[in-house]
Amino acid sequence: MRWLVVVLIPIALIAFVTGQLLLKYAMESSAIKGFRDPRVISFLGFGVLSMSVNFFLTLGLLSHLDLSFVYPFQGLSVIIISVTAAIVLREKFNLRLAIGAILITAGVVLVSMS
Amino acid sequence: MTNNRRSGFANPWFVLALEVICVLVYELLQKRGANETANLSQVWSWTGLTALMSPLVWLAMLLMIASLLSWLYVLRYIPLSVAFPFSRVVDVLVPLSCWLILDEDISPRRWFGIALVIIGLLLTAKPVARLEEKL
Repeated sequence: MRWLVVVLIPIALIAFVTGQLLLKYAMESSAIKGFRDPRVISFLGFGVLSMSVNFFLTLGLLSHLDLSFVYPFQGLSVIIISVTAAIVLREKFNLRLAIGAILITAGVVLVSMS
Repeated sequence: MTNNRRSGFANPWFVLALEVICVLVYELLQKRGANETANLSQVWSWTGLTALMSPLVWLAMLLMIASLLSWLYVLRYIPLSVAFPFSRVVDVLVPLSCWLILDEDISPRRWFGIALVIIGLLLTAKPVARLEEKL
């Protein structure tokens, strides 16, 4: 079953990052277009769907593995989300934010490992 | 980004702090609720369903919904690459509260991790302060 863990952990992580990006994009557009815009609704819908995939995959992983093994991978989401938000959503990003994100990621991984 | 000027309860930074507090409190309530109900049934307690017998768990669920709604509000105004690292302050607050309230131990490695997160947050906070000044 080891291969399943190797496959499922990245999928859960990707689902989480994708979900956050979709929700962010939806909420940002909602400020301009309102909540009735079909694009806003579909981005919100896919965002929630993506987060749900992460939710259930995490529950599934937790039922077979220790929290101290599963959670540190979620911690990686800080740096991944910061970088992808800068690239995909064209958010302003600088060295300071990058170092901050790396330290927070390392800290969360250490906190959740023990 | 003029929307960032919203003040009082509508201030996105205030709502972000609220989101973090909601997550912190529901994690602690869940733990208390799960502990309370762990002995109700040998088999069912593993499914988590027995936890529904605890009012604390229901309160936790309300807070979970509140945290999701406040997070969506935050996303409307604060860049994700700033808001998300900030929201992870909860990963420091949970072990600290467990240490203070639930009498759980914190290992040296965990203290080191907590220190790293705090330094990272301070680094992230600086450009944000500058960003706010410009508005």
